[in-house]
Amino acid sequence: MKLALLANISFYIPELIAILTMCSLLFFEAAYSDEERKRTFVYIVGLIGLAVCMIMLVANLGTEPKSLFAKAVVIDNFSTSMKMIMVLGTLGTFYISYKSNDIYESLKSEYLVMAVGVLVGGMLLASANNMLTLYLGVETLSILSYVMTSMKRKDSLSTEAGMKYALYGGITAGVMLFGISHLYGIFGSIHFAEIAAAIPALEGAKLTAAIVAFLLFFVGLGYKVAAFPFHMWSPDVYQGSPIPVTAFFSIVPKLAGIAAIVRVSTTLFGGDSSMSLTWIAFLKVTAIMTMTVGNISALNQESVKRMLAFSSIGHVGMLLMGVIVMNEMGTNAILYYALIYMFMTLTAFLVTCLVSNRYGSDKMVYFRGLVNEHPLMAISFTIILFSLAGVPPFGGFIAKFNIISAAIDSKLYTISFIAAINSVIALYYYLRLAKTMILDPSDGKDQLRGASFVSHLVVAGLTIPVILLGIFWGKIYHLYSFAKLYIDS
Amino acid sequence: MISLVSYLAISLLLFFIGLTLMIARKNIVAILLGIELILNAAALNFVAYSRFAASNIDGHIFSLFVIVIAAAEAAVGLAIVIHYFQLKETIHIDEATELRN
Repeated sequence: MKLALLANISFYIPELIAILTMCSLLFFEAAYSDEERKRTFVYIVGLIGLAVCMIMLVANLGTEPKSLFAKAVVIDNFSTSMKMIMVLGTLGTFYISYKSNDIYESLKSEYLVMAVGVLVGGMLLASANNMLTLYLGVETLSILSYVMTSMKRKDSLSTEAGMKYALYGGITAGVMLFGISHLYGIFGSIHFAEIAAAIPALEGAKLTAAIVAFLLFFVGLGYKVAAFPFHMWSPDVYQGSPIPVTAFFSIVPKLAGIAAIVRVSTTLFGGDSSMSLTWIAFLKVTAIMTMTVGNISALNQESVKRMLAFSSIGHVGMLLMGVIVMNEMGTNAILYYALIYMFMTLTAFLVTCLVSNRYGSDKMVYFRGLVNEHPLMAISFTIILFSLAGVPPFGGFIAKFNIISAAIDSKLYTISFIAAINSVIALYYYLRLAKTMILDPSDGKDQLRGASFVSHLVVAGLTIPVILLGIFWGKIYHLYSFAKLYIDS
Repeated sequence: MISLVSYLAISLLLFFIGLTLMIARKNIVAILLGIELILNAAALNFVAYSRFAASNIDGHIFSLFVIVIAAAEAAVGLAIVIHYFQLKETIHIDEATELRN
């Protein structure tokens, strides 16, 4: 029995490598005394570690779905694909942190340590199969995120953002835990499979208690993905954090949270008991409100970081819509959306990072006339903005199209209609930034410092997948149709 | 004999005291205290349910994890609050309003 538990480790190698990477980064970070050499070394080790982790994830992709460690963790193709996207996103934010002036040079190696730590939490969350691993994943994500937010020590904005994040995060995690404790009392188990088996038999007072407990439980998850009404922290934290941290937050914790919500919803609420209907109705309202509030609040933001924060709230609304569909079409669409969203977010934040390196601020006015000085970068960013808004033929359109078609396939007409309207609203603020870059005259300032030829190439290189995934989407989408969610019973 | 209901009542009371602290008090340290109360309410629930309702020790294990995580969270939270105090010389939540559009 005990040896059988140990044998499971062979499926858990990617996570182990990520943990090992984090530990060795921490070790090298402390061991080297020469700042310059330490940074180079830490970046190389981080890169190699995550590359190996990525290879191991690819190797895991084909295997049979399996639940490990006494059903605490599930390894299936859905979670593996999600982890691959998260690892890629982390690698991308490594490059942003390498370029950015927004975090102190001496803290860049610490950024890597903490980013890999959050990634470990995200991987745990993406494959959590009982309440304990889910809670551990959420807290591993959160506690390190608080530190990452307040990384700019001398900046009062960053510290204030970190404090707000820690307070809101602590409250919501506590409320979620309180919900979980009552779920444990009602069902007598913390395993998703056993809870799912007991849900249809609920009635009377127990049913009411379970509904309340599940709502409390959703608070923590909704907070992690910044779903309405727990999204209020998101713009503040995004604005206060250094840019690489903001880019990281809009990718890894969000996708991990979405993966957890998908697993919770499909495992626990797959049937059509009254409990499931309540949960789905609740998710529906949340999804509608999340995308509407996110897109409308983004309309008149001057700070690009803050605008991207609100726009990412809008995207979470779309992803939640994919959750409501609750079938394979929905999960495939979510994976595809997550992949494109990762590329788009990375590019948007990389350009914002380069601009704010030069001007020390990410206000929209500093993007004026970017196309005159850096045509490649400005055009790539414009493509990304169109893609974020969901204009064909770019990847963002296909991603939205897949989600909406999955929703229409399940006869969710109202929410699909609202999602379509939201895309139109989103077009306004994305195009406002595009217009600033292309049509407004530049104020004749010199070129962006630090924006080397290589970083231009990286911006363009990150745009290419978005274009390609918009045109040749069949292959990847077909690939993701193998990424089934494994429901353990 | 102390029953499950008394434990639940106490934990519910702790939960609401914690929530009230967080909503009503403007002192950041008091808000952190409120978070701790909520976490402890949950831990108490786990142990009580494990003893009375469920026939396994998952609840005990869960409460141990909760204690460890609560400590980590308090450490990080307090560190950030102390740093905030060093920068701004206040721990009043209403004065933390720099982040606006």
